[in-house]
Amino acid sequence: MEIVPQLIVNSIIAGSIYSLVALGFNLIYDVTKFFNLAHGVLAAVGGYAVFFFYKTFGLPLILSVVIAVLLTGLIGFILDKLVFLPLRLRKASDMVLIVASLGAFTAIQAIIAILFTSQFQTLSQGSGQNIYEFGNAVFTQTQFIILASALIIMVGLVWLLKSTMLGKAIQAISDDEEVAKIVGINTNKIISYVFFIGSAIAGLAGVLVGFDTGIEPTMGMGLLLKGVIGSIIGGVGNIYGGVLGSFLLGFVENFGIWKISGEWKDAIAFILLILFLLFKPKGILRK
Amino acid sequence: MIMNTLLKWIVGIVIVVLIAWGGYVLYQKYSGSIDGGVATGEPIKIGFIGALTGDAAAYGEGARNTVALAVDEINKSGGVDGRPLEVVYEDGKCNGKDAANAAQKLVNVDKVMVIFGGSCSGETLSAIPIVEVGKVVLVSGTATSPDLTGKSKFFFRTYPSDAKQGEIVADAANAKGWKKVVAIQEQTDYALGYYKAFENRFKQLGGTVTKEEFATSVTDVRSLLTKLKNQKPDALLISVQTPAAGERILKQLQDLKWKPALIVIDILVNDTATVERNKEYLEGAIGADFALDQNNQKLQNFLAAYKAMFNADVPFTSYNTAVYDSVYVIKDGIMAVGLDGEKIADWSRTIKDWAGASGMITIDANGDRASAHSVKVVKDGKAQF
Repeated sequence: MEIVPQLIVNSIIAGSIYSLVALGFNLIYDVTKFFNLAHGVLAAVGGYAVFFFYKTFGLPLILSVVIAVLLTGLIGFILDKLVFLPLRLRKASDMVLIVASLGAFTAIQAIIAILFTSQFQTLSQGSGQNIYEFGNAVFTQTQFIILASALIIMVGLVWLLKSTMLGKAIQAISDDEEVAKIVGINTNKIISYVFFIGSAIAGLAGVLVGFDTGIEPTMGMGLLLKGVIGSIIGGVGNIYGGVLGSFLLGFVENFGIWKISGEWKDAIAFILLILFLLFKPKGILRK
Repeated sequence: MIMNTLLKWIVGIVIVVLIAWGGYVLYQKYSGSIDGGVATGEPIKIGFIGALTGDAAAYGEGARNTVALAVDEINKSGGVDGRPLEVVYEDGKCNGKDAANAAQKLVNVDKVMVIFGGSCSGETLSAIPIVEVGKVVLVSGTATSPDLTGKSKFFFRTYPSDAKQGEIVADAANAKGWKKVVAIQEQTDYALGYYKAFENRFKQLGGTVTKEEFATSVTDVRSLLTKLKNQKPDALLISVQTPAAGERILKQLQDLKWKPALIVIDILVNDTATVERNKEYLEGAIGADFALDQNNQKLQNFLAAYKAMFNADVPFTSYNTAVYDSVYVIKDGIMAVGLDGEKIADWSRTIKDWAGASGMITIDANGDRASAHSVKVVKDGKAQF
């Protein structure tokens, strides 16, 4: 039983990371209604941007993170303008959009590997990070920041959607894009803003993962899959649902291997996904 | 109308001829630039399979550079009987599936007689059945899994098997008085091979070993480590495919505030840069490596030539020195018995005290290099014998 506190901490860390991916993913899904696979690679973009500005270029840490998050948002915005918007205007099917996003994913991942090599890198410097202990459990400062970021962004997104004009426009598009257009909302402009915000959140997720474990060009797919599983079991397009599902996934994954071998970790995650798809396809909190 | 059609045909034919001619000129120019050097005969095509992307690219890129360097040297000094070597590089991505595809292409499309690789044991294991059918010789300087021993008469390696590595590390752990060792092992042929060799020997010596496995795609192994920590072992064995996976584990160990005595797989102690980067976590860790004689002039020449060509130190020196030697071994093989996969494979078993940059090479009947590892301990940020 003495490992339970640490397993809880491990679950919370995993859940927070998945939440950050799920939050941005859900926001974009909400208005575009397609599975944007390129979302995963944007996490890698964020991580590598910090790597470049902070470790190679030598800018201060906070400034590097801010630049990286904004840059990732900008790349998401550009992706929408260059790839997804033209396809939407052409009334392309969801399948075409998914394939296009997979193409963008692969291309950006390859570009990162060419620019920075495919070597694994860490963002943290040295081992000078604070480690907190609660009884049998250990928590690092980075992990605390990850949890705090996930919660702050969740609250921030709820505020954005409920209390701002932009949020109301986003919800209108989410409910019915055609009607939103008729009442005078410039839907394509709003969607491009959403791409910026959602991608910036993905970038932040990548940065935090980079400080926690490290970065490599192929990190995007693993993060994306877990974030997508989190949002599906929580309820696709629902902000609270994405977070709830992500934490549930984190706990099931980490406690699932308590008594059985650790090699089952990914299998458990995907079995959970299949169970939800079969018995509760709309997720825990339906939109 | 007829004139019009005729005109179209003539214009069409002229365009086709022009394109073909342009292509031919470009081809001549391009292949000419590859041939280069002194050797000007018809090139001998040779295949290469290695991990050029992903975590394991750390090995594949070094091996590719090393092969390119050795081939360049050979071609500049007259090639093989006047014929230059030309290498076709394929990405095996450190997994069986991609390596099998690469081997299929090299054997059936490029029709090579010799393939260097794979850089990983998993790649090599899945390439073997394909080279057997095609009667192509496969030679690796980096695939070290014990499962490859005696696997095929078409395969040999210029690096010793991990069976020895696991055994001497188990002996060293036993000598330290450790009885209870826990292990974290990546699910790849190489990491499993090292673990099995260690486990067999350590159990014979009266110790106990338990392990947790993780898939290559898994980057968060905190809960596995939490479970292992809870067993209160004397030491933790880390058996991973790539330094990247090893570094992630070291980092997460530190995050969990667990500082066990470490036994590590060779890749975490045989690359100076990796040891330097992780010196705080690796201090005191024991591992095994294949010892190179630093006074060997061939080794020094290789290290200098690599640095001059790629402006970087040789990564994983012991592996890549073995890769370097494998290219020259193949050159000698072709000169001795001709360009024939089966004959070169048979010839490889007769190699005895072949003087290379990695020392004297002798290949046994199982295709393994007959040599041993020695134990290394990380001290003050350097792995020492």
